[in-house]
Amino acid sequence: MTRAITTLDELRSGLTPLENHLIDVFVDGRVSRRELLRHGSLLGLSLPFLGRVALATGFGAAPTAARAVAQPGATIRVACYPPSTAVDPVKGSNAPLYLMIQQVGEYLCIDGPDLLPKPCLAKSWKPNEDGTIWTFALRKGVKFHSGGEMKADDVVATFDRLTDPKNSSGALSAFKGILQKGGARKVDDYTVEFHLDSPNGNFPYLVSSDTPNAIILPASYSGNFEETWDGTGPFKIDKYTRNVGASFVRNDNYWGAQALPARTEFTFFADIQPQIVALKAGQVDIINTVSALAGVALLDDPTVDVMSLHSVAHQPVNMRCDSEFFKDPRVRQAVALCLDREKLTKGLLRGRGVIGNDSPFASIYPSMDPTVPQRNQDISKAKELMKAAGMEKGFQVTLTTMQYLEIPAYAQLIQSWVKAIGIDLKLEIMDRASFYGSLVLGKSPYLDSAMSISDFGHRGVPNVYLTSSLMSSGPWNPAHFKNTEFDTLANSYIAALDLDAQRAAAGKIQRLLLQETPVLYGYFYDKLTVVKRGIAGVQPTGMMQLFLQNAGKA
Amino acid sequence: MTLFLLSLLVFFAGQVLPGDVGRTILGPFADHDAVNEVNHQLGVDRPLLVQYGTWIWHFIQGDMGESYIYRVHVAPLVLQALCHSLKLSALAFVLVVPLSILGGLLAALNVNRPIDRIISIAGVSMTALPEFVTGIVLILLFGVWLRWLPISAAWPDGAGLLVQVYYLILPAMPLVLVLFGYIARMARAGMIEALDSDYTRTAVLKGLPWREVIWRHVLRNALLPTITVIASQTGYLIGGLVVVETLFRYQGIGSLIFNAAKSKDFPMLEACVLTIGLIYAVATLVADLLYSLLNPRIRIRNAND
Repeated sequence: MTRAITTLDELRSGLTPLENHLIDVFVDGRVSRRELLRHGSLLGLSLPFLGRVALATGFGAAPTAARAVAQPGATIRVACYPPSTAVDPVKGSNAPLYLMIQQVGEYLCIDGPDLLPKPCLAKSWKPNEDGTIWTFALRKGVKFHSGGEMKADDVVATFDRLTDPKNSSGALSAFKGILQKGGARKVDDYTVEFHLDSPNGNFPYLVSSDTPNAIILPASYSGNFEETWDGTGPFKIDKYTRNVGASFVRNDNYWGAQALPARTEFTFFADIQPQIVALKAGQVDIINTVSALAGVALLDDPTVDVMSLHSVAHQPVNMRCDSEFFKDPRVRQAVALCLDREKLTKGLLRGRGVIGNDSPFASIYPSMDPTVPQRNQDISKAKELMKAAGMEKGFQVTLTTMQYLEIPAYAQLIQSWVKAIGIDLKLEIMDRASFYGSLVLGKSPYLDSAMSISDFGHRGVPNVYLTSSLMSSGPWNPAHFKNTEFDTLANSYIAALDLDAQRAAAGKIQRLLLQETPVLYGYFYDKLTVVKRGIAGVQPTGMMQLFLQNAGKA
Repeated sequence: MTLFLLSLLVFFAGQVLPGDVGRTILGPFADHDAVNEVNHQLGVDRPLLVQYGTWIWHFIQGDMGESYIYRVHVAPLVLQALCHSLKLSALAFVLVVPLSILGGLLAALNVNRPIDRIISIAGVSMTALPEFVTGIVLILLFGVWLRWLPISAAWPDGAGLLVQVYYLILPAMPLVLVLFGYIARMARAGMIEALDSDYTRTAVLKGLPWREVIWRHVLRNALLPTITVIASQTGYLIGGLVVVETLFRYQGIGSLIFNAAKSKDFPMLEACVLTIGLIYAVATLVADLLYSLLNPRIRIRNAND
């Protein structure tokens, strides 16, 4: 029989200085229980252990694995978009494809709705002292659907495949500068080390469901996923028909708790309106993803539940710092002060989002510094800034963007707001492919325009937003923002292993970005999943994935 | 020659579409080198004439090539989609042709009376309504509120012919509505002209029963222009149903063309467009043959020539 309560000293024994530091700041009250769970998970401490720490310090019971109050054996029917390419976990790069591979495949860890990295195929992980080597202990007894046991060789092969430039992997840009081919090394059959190019405090997110290509495939995988669908997950493929749908059945040899549904069916629709109609007609139970604007008819529908998951997905407004209009940071600040962020979230997003403060540090990130003042609408101050910058007469500029989700409506709102400071904004709204173009300077309206609005999906940590779109060397830096102080701060944030150091760096970054304002972060929009009343246990993620193993009809 | 010109037109017009294949496959934020590598592997970084020449050389030898996006042979996909489109268009034809001819006949026999006005105005109104409007209304009516018909045309595996027809009724209805007004109007005009003609008057004065006059003399002559109209709609019914196919999740050749154009999947696009072109050519030929079969004057003139 185990003791229900353990003393804190007993729990501390055997922990690294970094882990003990986390407990110290938790006891001091500098981090919340949620942050303890999140950052402790990141450092490789198990959730039951962290729960015991919280219990020992009087912060409530240990977390328990949630299981739906649902009947087993159901068939769960999902409406979603079709994968736009062949289903290949290595090359593929679209959300519907990720949804498909995640039904049969699994990651080393999962970045769930609470942004906690949870063990999955890895049961634990540890960084070395400077965060350049991360060691993952693999779960034993995990079987691929084809019968073989998942071992370190499969993990190493998976990451070698994703990081090999010859394979043109969809995850190559995520691993660039962090992990190269050969960086994943087998220690023994159940232990893998990742040798990184530079220190990284958030590396577990990179091998989690946050990098949707990173499902663990057998070492023998030869690119024929649509034939094999070989993974380790709780469901096995039943049938996949291109552009029509897919069905999966319960994997009776699953290493974990058996999935509740006997079967899941995914029906592909090219647009959202037919998905809504199918839900209304009772032909599907779930719509995986809907935008607030498109799903407005469902938000007040008593026959459905709209699951609103806070995410860090956002639509940045980029202002080119090297353009004649926006080279002065005071002009950029003035534009930022025109935004009525409350109205944006309440009106445009129908309350399904949180306001932004002109940095990618959303309030749901534990590392975000909450002491940085929130920027609000202030037209008189904006006018003063325009005058100080010698732009009191205003100017005419084109805002280029794409037809995607709420963006055109967002552009129109900005257009109306900046009129107050004399800016005559012309809108150029194009299709998505034209907008991004070839993603090189001179061939991409996204990178070339003086002002643009793009869309960034959710990430469990802000690293990619900092490195790719704000750093001087970032490959997608539409603001052309080049600031050595920012680059140094971003690098120190990425390398920081403890939450205090991350928060300190984040605070400096947030303040610097408020001062410089190369990009407006007006809001972070929720990921909305619509579920018919009577269906329980559905678990979506901000990355558009959908975990159905606990789903059932109540 | 027509098909060759069509293939040239599609290939070179397709080049102005935005985006590239590699980025479509790897996503908008993919690594630039990775995108170039995919484009190289697929051969789309070669000069346009080389790409076209290679493709047409294989096509002439019966190889439609491999889809850039799905990485499978194009021919089975096109064939399957064509089968689907033929089923839907066949059902639409079976429903719309007798209905619209009957409508035209009724209107012509009651010229300027209420029944004529109702058929004419309703027909023109329905033709003017886009398929996505009528489609959504029909889905809401029969699929959501009454729940009589499935809202998706994707029938279950192993479904028999009757089940397939059941799944295709709703998608066929917007097509019937669009075509009804057009064909009925042509049938009406032809009927009015035939009813006014000397040979009809002669037949009536000969004392033939009215039903026989209509059946043997009026209809046979009145339907000649209608047949041309019906034939001209064949290509549209088989290859132009992008909206209906998207709305009802039907995997016909129209949606295949649409997806191929969006992703610059050139082998798929060419194969689909040439297939449709071939169908247009065959439909026109069949219309000519039918015309000459039904109109003895054409046969006699040809024989005299």
